[in-house]
Formats: sequence, structure tokens, C-alpha cells
Amino acid sequence: MGLQTRLLLIAALVLSACLGAVGWIQDRSFKAAVRTGAAEQLRAVAYGLLAAAAERDGGLFFAEELGEPRLSQPNSGLYAYLESSSGATIWRSPSIVASGSRLSEQSPVRQRPAPGEQIFSLAAPIAGEPSRFVLGYTVIWEALGTEITFWVLVDEAPYRRQIVEFRRDAALGLLVAAAIFLAIQGIALRWGLNPVRRMVSRLRGLEAGSRNDIGDDYPRELAALAHNLNRFIASEKANRDRYRNAMDNLAHSLKTPLAVLKNAVRELSERQAQLFEEHLARMESTVAHQLSRAAAVRPTISPASVALMPMAARIARALERTGAPKRMAVELIDAAASPALVRVDERDLMEMLGNLIENAFKYGRSRVRISASVSPDSDASPDSEGQQTPSATLLIEDDGAGIAPDKRELVLERGERADLETSGQGIGLAVVVELAAFYQGCLTLGDSDLGGAAVRLSLPAAERTPERARPL
Amino acid sequence: MRLLIVEDEVLLAAQIDKFLRDHDFVVDVATDGKEGLYYLREGDYDAALIDLGLPKLDGIGVIETMRRENNATPVLILTARGDWRDKVAGLEAGADDYLTKPFHMEELLARLNALLRRSAGYASSVIECGPLRLDTSRKELRVAGAPVELTAFEYRVLEYLAMNPARVVSKIELTNHVYEQDFDRDSNVIEVFIARLRKKLDPHGNLKPIRTVRGQGYRFVVDLPRPV
Repeated sequence: MGLQTRLLLIAALVLSACLGAVGWIQDRSFKAAVRTGAAEQLRAVAYGLLAAAAERDGGLFFAEELGEPRLSQPNSGLYAYLESSSGATIWRSPSIVASGSRLSEQSPVRQRPAPGEQIFSLAAPIAGEPSRFVLGYTVIWEALGTEITFWVLVDEAPYRRQIVEFRRDAALGLLVAAAIFLAIQGIALRWGLNPVRRMVSRLRGLEAGSRNDIGDDYPRELAALAHNLNRFIASEKANRDRYRNAMDNLAHSLKTPLAVLKNAVRELSERQAQLFEEHLARMESTVAHQLSRAAAVRPTISPASVALMPMAARIARALERTGAPKRMAVELIDAAASPALVRVDERDLMEMLGNLIENAFKYGRSRVRISASVSPDSDASPDSEGQQTPSATLLIEDDGAGIAPDKRELVLERGERADLETSGQGIGLAVVVELAAFYQGCLTLGDSDLGGAAVRLSLPAAERTPERARPL
Repeated sequence: MRLLIVEDEVLLAAQIDKFLRDHDFVVDVATDGKEGLYYLREGDYDAALIDLGLPKLDGIGVIETMRRENNATPVLILTARGDWRDKVAGLEAGADDYLTKPFHMEELLARLNALLRRSAGYASSVIECGPLRLDTSRKELRVAGAPVELTAFEYRVLEYLAMNPARVVSKIELTNHVYEQDFDRDSNVIEVFIARLRKKLDPHGNLKPIRTVRGQGYRFVVDLPRPV
């Protein structure tokens, strides 16, 4: 999971927890406010009734006009009745009478309030009737010498509707807020992670060979890392270059005197010349072999992927220029659907392909065929995790005499040549074998339908180095 | 044939110089890239042997510069590094062949002859025209199958003319390519050699392989009739 996705996910989780808590608290407060509102309303009605009640002939009666008109309308949702201390209903509001409710037949709360006390709660449910809030208020009616409880009830439904509507609006509001917050967070993360993305993209450029460092335009937190990385990259490259230059210089300073000695031998007596020739050849072979082996330095930073075919074509074209020792018809076939790529240091790859193609030119009669392919079933050895990686293969064929099967193993060994007629040091193939093994590849020899040798160089195939960085 | 060796290792240069002189070449030696380029600009060479690791201006620099200046002299690279990047870079810069050090002088000679032959447009080291058969690798001439003895100078004159077929070669050009710098450059000497060569190549005077182009020089005729 990418860094940005992770951070966004964490932000989203924290945000939903916070907004959930805010929603819950808001909801509770609103519900309490609604209940308080209902209680206030019922209390006002109860006080209204108390004020409107008049006694006559030892009983209570109300004027025609009750203070609250809903008490007079059937199914208005607002009801009231009066109860004596003995539990007898003294009076019922017209809204109860007209709607035929069984409201006054059972006590809405478990215990009647004591005189002077008020009770507010949800009324005990009555089968077939809507749920209601109830306010009970007991007074001692001195003139009548009795306790009278005023019961006022109101349908709960409109209050519940208010709560539902509030919840809907609140949820919508919170969602909009969350969306805006997450969008801002996303933009902030993108902006904040931009330097990291830049660094990753430059690292890829470095791998692709299009850059030499990762730059230094980073924020303070990354600057030190970038600086150290740049220094590491530069020193790694410098070390590699210095090492290779040292190898080159060593080669130059060993081979030139060898050339001088080799040519001076002709002035010696035959016996001496033979001795010198023999030992010079051994020195020459050791120098050439050990130097090309030592010069192969696998870079610490994975080298850029190189396409096999263009490099093979480049070498073949260069060799065609020489026309030596004969004119060759070179056929280049790129059989792979996608270019056969390998992650090998360009110089090492050139060393391998150069030796192989030069051999084909040397031993072929008139034709050389070079083809590249990528095969999923690898010839190359498994990598360190034991996984089979696909291999990119370059097949180099010629129409020469070929290499006899019993000599194939021999020619892959150091310094051995199948024939002694063609000039050369005979270490070319051995160097290729070693370099190929160095990169977990291999070299195999076979027969070509052209009539000569078929040399197959297999190396672990590489993905094309992407130009753009993957999203973080 | 006049050759230029550009090699900073004095001992090796001297060995190559001696070996090539022994094989009837006229040789100049430069010991650094700048000197080599100067020689290439001033002289007219049939081929140049250029080491890649040269002081002042490296071999690739020399080749690139001379090619940019339209100097088409065939170039054989000598390289001690044996590095393919150098070889390919050298060939791409305009060299015609390469030889990795250390090498046998015989191999150098073979490559050089092949290079000269190719630049003259011949596919084989043996140039045949009519009854004449000039083997440039063995430095040997046969007329109608019989070997003909040539002095070193006679051979050089003949080889140069044969390597520049169907083209008029002036006496000055011929002198430059067959004589050392400090040699007495009397054009009469060339005339004497040509006369002696004509006698050896065509004793009866009916083939006339070396024609005189009045006021311009000599021309080697390739399409001589084959002997019946």
C-alpha cells in the first residue's frame, strides 16, 4: 500500500471516529432538548387547565373555551384528564371523548405524583394507540378537600419526526464536512509527499541512466538523506570508474611490453624463441583473462536495462566495417514481441556480445545470424529467492564448421580453442562464460541450421525501466 | 606503400617500423596524437596504424578529426585494452579494423595488407590482370606463371600503381609513396624504374600494362587481355 493511501486511510479512520462522536453528542443533546420542549409544552397546558378549573356543587368544571384549542379537537394529539386520589376520572378533555381513546382507563405512570410534584415521562403504552409523552401534576384542592391529579398527554410522533429530520440534516452536514476535510487532506498529502515522489522519480532516472544524482532541492527533513545518497552514488561511481581505469591502465602497461617482447623473440635462436613464445603466451593469456575478469564490476545501484538487439546490431555493424577477414552477410532478427532487455552493465554486455559476435565473424564462412528472444521458462539459474525469472536470450549463429559436441565443454574453458588455425587468444568464450555466470546467466553451444555453431547467451530478462515513477 | 604509425611506446613503434620496412613499406612514425594528426594532414598515406591510448590526443580523437577533415586514409587501430567499448568506439569513429595487443607481426601484416587491398577495391591479396599475377601478401610477381625478380623499389612502384588501378598517378605522388622522406627525389629515377618494370612485366612490348599519360603521370591498366 502506498504511503499516501496509508496516510489518507488513517486520516479517514480518525475523522470518522471524531465525527461519529460529534454526531452522537449532538444527537443526545437534541433529543434532550426535544424532551424538555415537550415537557414545557405539557406543563403550560396543565397550568392552563389548573387556572381554567372552577368548582361548583362540590365538583370541578371548565369553561366552554379551554385555553388550548387542541384539547377540544378529536385526534389532535393533545389530551388531558383529571383524576381524584381514589383513581376516579373526574374530567376528560373533549379530544379524548371524541376520539374514543382508552387513555383515561389506565394509569400512564406507575405511581401518581405526590401533591405539588410533577412527573414527566413516556406514557405506558396502550395497545392500538400511538406512544405519548405524559405530564402528571397533583394538587390538593382545598375547597373540595381532595387531591386531584392533572394528566396531560401529547403524541410523541411529531417530536420523533423532528429528531429524525435533525439526524438526517446533521448526518448530511457531517458527511459534507468529512468529504471537504478528506479532500483537503489529500491535497495536503500530495503536496507534502511531492519531494518524496520527486526523489523516487529521480532514483528511477538514475537506474535508467538518464541522471547522475537525485538532485538537492528537497525540504529540510529529506535534504540530509538526499545529500548522503548523492555522495554515496558519486563515490560508488567514482570508485568503479577509478577501479576500471586502473584495470585499463594495468592492461595497457602490461600488454604493450608483452607486444614488444613478443616481437623481439624473432631475433632469438630457435630454442630460446620457443621457450620465450611459450611463456609469453601463458603470460598473455593470464593477463587478458584475469584483467577482463577483474574489470567486471557489478554496480551497487542496479544498472539500467539494456536491450540486447540494438547493442548486438551496433557491434555487428562495427565489425562489418572491418570486413576482415571476409565479407559477412549479417541477418538480425528481433523475435521477441517486446524488446529483450537485461539489467547488465553496458560495458560488460558489450564485452560478452563483442566476443561472441567476433567469433561468429571469425569462424563463419559468409553468413551470421543474430536473433533475440524472451522466454518465460528460464535457462538462467534461479535468483536468490529461488524464483525462476524469465530469460532474455541472444542466439548467434554462423555457417562455419561449428564446434564438435565433444569439444564444446573444452572451448568454454579458459584459453582453449577448438581449432588452432584462426588467430585469437582463445579466452573470449571463457570470459563470456564467466561474465554470464556473474549476472546469473549462462552460455550454451549447439548446432545451427546455417551449418555452423549456434551460441546461446541467456541472461535474466529485465522489465523496461519506467520513465515515470509509480504512484507513491 | 606509405604508412603512418602512431604509437607512443617507442620500442614497439620501432619494432613495427623495422618490420614493415623489411616488408617494403615506407614508414613514418609519430609518438603522440597531435603529431600523428599533423603527419596525416601533411602527408599522403596509404594506411595508418593508430594506437588508441595516445598522449596529447587519444586515438579516437585522431580518427574522428581526420575523418571530419575528409581524410579517407584506411586506419587500423591498435588497442592494448582489448575493451569492446574502445573497439566499437574506434570503428564507429571511422577506423577500418582493429588489432589487440599483444599481436604477432605476421597478423599485423595480414590485416594491413587486407586493409590496403580492400581500400583499393580488390577482394583477394592476389591481383591478376592478363598474364600478370601480383601476390601482395607474398610480395611476389609472376608473368605468365613464371616468377619475376623485382627489386624492393620496383616492387613498391608496381604495387602502388596496381593498388591505384585505372587512375593516373603522378611522378610526385609515386615518389611520395615509394621513397623515404630524405631520399633523393630525382624524377628521372622514377622514369628509370618504370622503364625497368615495363621490361620485366612485358618483355615483348605488346601488353603495355603501365601507360604514360603525357604531362600527368602513369596509369596501371587492369583489363589486360588474358593470355590464350
